[in-house]
Amino acid sequence: MRFRPSYLLIAFPLAFLLLFFYLPMADILRLGLWDNGPTLRFLSAVLGNSYHRWVIRFTITQALSSTALTLIIGLPGAYIFAKYDFPGKRVIRAILTVPFVMPGIMVALGFILLFGKDGFIAHLIGRDPGIIYTWKAILLAHAFYNFPIVIRMVSSLWQRVNPHYEEMAQTLGAKGFRLFWKVTLPLISPAIFASAMLTFVFCFLSFSIPLILGGYRYVTMEVDIFSTVMTLLDFRTGSALAVIQITLSAIFMYLYLRSLDTYSKREEQRILQRPQKLGPRDLLSLKGLGVVLYSVLVFVFIVAPLLAIVYDSLLFNGHLSLENYRRVFSPEYNPMFGVSTLGAIKNSLLFGFTTVVISILVALPLAYLLNRWDFRGKRLLDVLVMLPLASSPVTVALGYIMVFQSTPLYYTFWIVAIAHSIIAYPFVFRSLSTGLTKIKRNLREAALTLGANEWKAFLKVELPLALGSLIVGAIFAFAMSIAELGATYMLAPPEYTTMSLAVYKFLGARHFGSASALSVILMVVSAIGFLIIEKVGEEVW
Amino acid sequence: MVSVELRNVSKRWDGFELRVDLSVKDGEFLTLLGPSGCGKTTTLRIIAGLEKPDSGRVLFDGNDVTDLEPNERNIGIVFQDYALFPHMTVFKNIAFGLEMRKLPGAEIERRVKWALELVGLEGLENRYPEQLSGGQQQRVALARALVIEPEVLLLDEPLSNLDAKIRERLRSEIRRIQRELGITTVYVTHDQEEAMAISDRIAVMNVGRIDQIGEPLELYYKPWTEFVARFLGTSNILELEAENGVARLGSLEFSVGVDGRVKVFFRPESVLITEGEDATVTGYELLPGRMRLYLDVEGHTIIAERPLPDLPFEPNRVPPRVGILVRSFSLLSL
Ligand SMILES: Nc1ncnc2c1ncn2[C@@H]1O[C@H](COP(=O)(O)OP(=O)(O)OP(=O)(O)O)[C@@H](O)[C@H]1O
Ligand SMILES: [Mg+2]
Repeated sequence: MRFRPSYLLIAFPLAFLLLFFYLPMADILRLGLWDNGPTLRFLSAVLGNSYHRWVIRFTITQALSSTALTLIIGLPGAYIFAKYDFPGKRVIRAILTVPFVMPGIMVALGFILLFGKDGFIAHLIGRDPGIIYTWKAILLAHAFYNFPIVIRMVSSLWQRVNPHYEEMAQTLGAKGFRLFWKVTLPLISPAIFASAMLTFVFCFLSFSIPLILGGYRYVTMEVDIFSTVMTLLDFRTGSALAVIQITLSAIFMYLYLRSLDTYSKREEQRILQRPQKLGPRDLLSLKGLGVVLYSVLVFVFIVAPLLAIVYDSLLFNGHLSLENYRRVFSPEYNPMFGVSTLGAIKNSLLFGFTTVVISILVALPLAYLLNRWDFRGKRLLDVLVMLPLASSPVTVALGYIMVFQSTPLYYTFWIVAIAHSIIAYPFVFRSLSTGLTKIKRNLREAALTLGANEWKAFLKVELPLALGSLIVGAIFAFAMSIAELGATYMLAPPEYTTMSLAVYKFLGARHFGSASALSVILMVVSAIGFLIIEKVGEEVW
Repeated sequence: MVSVELRNVSKRWDGFELRVDLSVKDGEFLTLLGPSGCGKTTTLRIIAGLEKPDSGRVLFDGNDVTDLEPNERNIGIVFQDYALFPHMTVFKNIAFGLEMRKLPGAEIERRVKWALELVGLEGLENRYPEQLSGGQQQRVALARALVIEPEVLLLDEPLSNLDAKIRERLRSEIRRIQRELGITTVYVTHDQEEAMAISDRIAVMNVGRIDQIGEPLELYYKPWTEFVARFLGTSNILELEAENGVARLGSLEFSVGVDGRVKVFFRPESVLITEGEDATVTGYELLPGRMRLYLDVEGHTIIAERPLPDLPFEPNRVPPRVGILVRSFSLLSL
């Protein structure tokens, strides 16, 4: 093998990961497990504290319950999507993409406006529904985010169940529930398991949702680490908590990736069940009514929180007005977060784009290397690349504070952008890996024999073909950066306050009108991502 | 054009080892023929530079190209699944190699047009690969490989994804173009009929080795090994004991010139059928214009094939016993 300049491209991502992920993590491990020698003292101190113990137990139980609720809402949808084609299916499918790009802080605000003691539902039924600032709100918001995943993954496998199995079982006398239990369920269970695992991991590491909707009482580990570090300035305990969190989430993430493997293999099979077409006339039958009812519920569930925000943003002192927008857009310096609202918008976009660029620079060479070349230590590299998926924004930020405190990087634009990129790049990596595996190897070889060098072959043949997955990955990175709250809060200097952070601060000061107006702008920015995904038409779905 | 030589080339994988010596003459059409997994594709990829041999040398016209990258070798290759670039039109696909060589636009246009004419695809330049039939895709792949005026053309089972009719038409077209351009060609197939029909010479491969290499008729009538004999067409192989230079079976006598155990080989069409009592007819099949007879001589099965007019009996009155004569035979290595 001759030396190729392309090898150098690998050096950047590896150095980046080493410096901005493994070094900070090592420092957290050091603080959590080391005191002149390895010690479990700090871990047992955390586990011996009844508050932290409660938090750990709550984090797991809320993740489990959220997953259960998500499945309950999602599975009927999976059935409907696999079995029926109906007028408006495309619209519902598009609507289901919306949560992917909506920031948590915004969704939390929408839920407060809907379910809060002054919210729409309260007005409707004449009393506080008693949801906000309890675990119920957390569960609902988590379901909001994750039930589209269940629908997508489960319906995809459901369409691949050979109808002959079901027909065969029916001729043997299996009916209804028994048929489902004995025949269908085993065939779709990889999808149920994988989507449930993904939901669980998401809920386990959730931050904005419990931070806003859980009140003082319902605290997850991520929120606990955040407040331990930010209000108590107790880095030791924070690190010990982070060690526990990473250990658990690495286990969950491993289970998820394993289950995803099984799922992906099944998904390679042919679609065997074409959905049955339901015309307008069928809508009066029982199944038709079921489809209509479910579609309406989905629509309301996803759109209502967003509409509530839009409506609230147009209300000022009980009257329809644009006053909230006028205030939000006034170029005045806002003492609450040290930058004008326009500045916050600009910051968010800047962070978003920088995150996209950095995470592509990190993810693309790695994805390419791991997909195209065979070498010793490939599996190890695979693990090293995916491990950041098991960390969390607050943990990363904690590590950054400890490692970079005394460097010029600290308290700058770049440290925030880098934190966002570390969090976002695994998603770009996965999207690209999927895209690259779909490109046949011999296309590259054809290009090589036609006179292209490796670089040209990549640029002219492979990159254009992977562009869809690159764009989808980029949108995810962008959406993640825009939505990020914890790490930004911990690392950003006031002049780099983002929209999410500003909404959070407005909420803290109970300026709901301003929070709503700013959220609408956030919504518009996120919607652009949504539209691009729709346009590119790549399988997010 | 150039000659191609593989000298002591070897390549190992888990449970598989390729060892080949091969030389393809300038302008020759050589076919690598063998069953699935015998190493045909690997051999081709080593010639292309897509695979580096563990040891041995690859020579083009005597020059060592072993360490050259594929893009430095000036070869054209057609893959089994064509490997057309799905995001490029037919024109762009064919022009790709020319653009890589940084030819001026007008020259590219002229050459692509020439290539399209060569493969009979005028007028389709703006289609995308998915808008073409399998046969058309195959032609585009061929045009793309040829337009760069390669010194060697490599084809890996280029017809195996097509149905029988188109396969026959395209194979004679490939041969016509190859003759027209006089390009040194290595063609891979597992279809013996295809190999017989278009090759100057055939190399028969058997788990990582070349068993025999030669002109089609030579391989057909004078195979060296049982493997080659059985791989090309239908064979009669008799394991007999020879005494005083002659092996006998019933009334049949083979002057083999050696003593001891021998493997006598002959084709069904080398068996003449006469009136007589030498062999028992155990079965027969009527084929277009021919009859195939399954005969038993002292427990050995012999297959004979004759044109209908050559039979000493009416095709609908096959007698229980016939006389036989073997016109020519050869010996296989034991
Ligand atoms: N990249 C590889 N890694 C490991 N083993 C390989 C690789 N490529 C080929 N082999 C093995 O080498 C052997 C020969 O493969 P090759 O593709 O050359 O066969 P082939 O004659 O072209 O077969 P086919 O007619 O099926 O295409 C096979 O056993 C195959 O499994
Ligand atoms: Mg092959």
